[in-house]
Amino acid sequence: MIGRGARAGVAIATLALIGLTACKGPEGTGTADDATDSGGRITVWVDPPRLPAVSAFQRAYPDIPVDVMTINGNVGSTELQQKFVLFNQAGEGWPDAIFFPSNDDLAWAANSKINYVRDLTADLADVISQYAPGSISQCRIDGQYRCLRNDAAPDVLWYDKQLFAAWGYKPPATWEDYAALSVRIAAEHPGYVTGFLGDAYAPDRYLWASGCPTNHRLGERQVHLNLADPRCERIRDLLDRLVTAGAIASTGIFSPDATELGRRLVMSPGAVWWGNFLFRDTWKVPAGRITAAPPLRWSGDREPYTSSEGGGLWGFSRHIKGAQLRNTLTFARFVAADPRWQVELSVGLPGVVPLQQPWLDKQRQAGYLADFDAAAAAFVLASTIVRPERDYTRYNTGTVWTHTVTPALTSGRSFDHAWSVFGERLAGEARAFGYTVHDSA
Amino acid sequence: MYRSSQTGRWPASPPAGTTARPAPPPYTPVHAADLPPLPRTRRTGRVVRVGRRAAFFLVLPYTVLLLVGGLVPVGYAVVKSLQNESETGFGGLSSYQRVVSDLRFAETFGNVLLTLVIWLPLMLVGVVGLALLVDASSARFGAAMRFVYYLPGALAGVANFMLWLFLIDPGQSPVAFLWHGFGYRTLNEVAQPGNLPYILAAMLFFQGAGTWVVVLGGGLHSIPDELLEAARLDGADAWGVAWRVKLPMIRPWLGYLTLLNLAYGFQLFLEPQVLSQVTHGLIAPQWTPNQLSFSYAYQILDTPMAAAMSVILLAITLGVGLLVVRRSGLFDDER
Repeated sequence: MIGRGARAGVAIATLALIGLTACKGPEGTGTADDATDSGGRITVWVDPPRLPAVSAFQRAYPDIPVDVMTINGNVGSTELQQKFVLFNQAGEGWPDAIFFPSNDDLAWAANSKINYVRDLTADLADVISQYAPGSISQCRIDGQYRCLRNDAAPDVLWYDKQLFAAWGYKPPATWEDYAALSVRIAAEHPGYVTGFLGDAYAPDRYLWASGCPTNHRLGERQVHLNLADPRCERIRDLLDRLVTAGAIASTGIFSPDATELGRRLVMSPGAVWWGNFLFRDTWKVPAGRITAAPPLRWSGDREPYTSSEGGGLWGFSRHIKGAQLRNTLTFARFVAADPRWQVELSVGLPGVVPLQQPWLDKQRQAGYLADFDAAAAAFVLASTIVRPERDYTRYNTGTVWTHTVTPALTSGRSFDHAWSVFGERLAGEARAFGYTVHDSA
Repeated sequence: MYRSSQTGRWPASPPAGTTARPAPPPYTPVHAADLPPLPRTRRTGRVVRVGRRAAFFLVLPYTVLLLVGGLVPVGYAVVKSLQNESETGFGGLSSYQRVVSDLRFAETFGNVLLTLVIWLPLMLVGVVGLALLVDASSARFGAAMRFVYYLPGALAGVANFMLWLFLIDPGQSPVAFLWHGFGYRTLNEVAQPGNLPYILAAMLFFQGAGTWVVVLGGGLHSIPDELLEAARLDGADAWGVAWRVKLPMIRPWLGYLTLLNLAYGFQLFLEPQVLSQVTHGLIAPQWTPNQLSFSYAYQILDTPMAAAMSVILLAITLGVGLLVVRRSGLFDDER
């Protein structure tokens, strides 16, 4: 009995080991060696807000059969990556096109271990050239474009025009003015806030805008991360001041309790999509109150720069060829640069420059924002000055922020304390993902 | 599942309760009862052979399961954990070194230990108390109460979790006054990381207590009435019977409870994982060792590290398990 059991065990263990060692060497970023052709049918994975893009594509190209799968749109969810690990092990199952629920997903999808997204540099050069450099630079990894941006999400300065007029304020142009006015608003009008600090986009909004090196990728396993950099310390001191003055909320923009506060938000740096998504649809601020000014700049910086919050990314498979690849590239062109999706249906400012004005014209008709022309000019300007040297990495800075800074502030600790916990944890996670952390570029 | 003690036979005359804490009386398992030696004939030889074959077939399914679901994965994990980072050859203990030097390693174990320190005593005292009360109650009332206690456990894991989400959200909770008493107004204030061990302990208690009241009830039920009657004749009141007779006799059951719950505690995954998503990342996505191991496998894509973490977890739970088994005499009655 024991002999037979042991033999079975050895057999199973041997099979497992064979499966384990059947790995292949590293491949390039073009079409994979094991690529297949379905004969034309393509499979696309999108989150619920991007389903209309697929429907629009099906209406535009009725002869291309499309299978759609809806994926969980939760930012920071790990289940998607788990699926791709299993696809790689099985050697099949990858979608042909995917809308990444979280921009950081690009980092693992382009990593040499999963290596799913294809290099689009040659195949879609005509589309890539239509983007403002600031909108597409995060797709450029080691000299190759591995994704397309769906919508540009640069940060501008949002403010409540009616409150500003009633209280006699002028929208600030620099971060220093923003801080001074925030402290003044907190003192003169308690209960009103000038920012949110508790969501995963907060480090983008504040740290990226300041040029603080948190995610500056130097190579697949090299990153420039240094919270002692002067560009980090200036934003730390500024946020510390705002927290101490009670001007900035420790809750996040997506939190249920932000709805109440959102209506008392006097001004804040925020992405272009804040207008429709947050102010209009989530916080239900009445039309004609909110408008946008150009992004805040640091008075010490020679060039004006801003940051970006989200703005979705499309990735396309390396594991296809022939008709399937051709149809997938048709789909790629459509979702990135076709007005039937980008102008008619998409809720965000198009990433490709030629479609931005048609989209803005459509928004003007909706009539939600006050002072629309000034806001539109701010959007377009912002999309051209997104600060470089901020990449999507495999460690998630936003998640580290929400589980270090947010709880510390919620439980009444100082911002200084929260910042040091954040810095320590961020470097720790970068190392856990195998990055070597460099103090300078 | 609950061992042969349930089928054990007690001697007719229990020891008098004169000592401060009577030791459980010796008992004779059915299978070990003295049989007169049989002369070895062809007939008995066949009986022995048939018996052996029956035993083989009875044990076979379990052996297969143990191999496929237990020993092979453990062997695979050990082999895998000794590979180098690129999984191309032998790496010695380097993956263990990487795991231990991760700053989240000690932290995740600290989280689980804190949860266990709160949850296990709560579980032991609470479940034993409820089981003794049910056992001491009249038959109908006791049975009704046992059913009531069991109800929360009948909710499947996810349903139970959804219920708890409502309970801990001050905006929707029927016990909102409790949260307001602590000064909490929002879910994020209640579910802040420092409170998580308490929330998990409460959650796990309500989820598991009912089942364990039923299990301990079975144990208490198997204590022969003669023994209890003798204790009463010797002057023990209800408290004395519970503390000096019932409790020592269900000690193996308590060991079993501790063992399984310890194992569950070290493997915590679902509750903190979902809470992390619900609170928009307020709880670290790697709050328990199991979540950290998951992250090694599917985020960091370092399978040897994930395997090393699993082996470390296995060593800890096995070690603690053996300790509990020895101290509680869980398997003593199989001697």
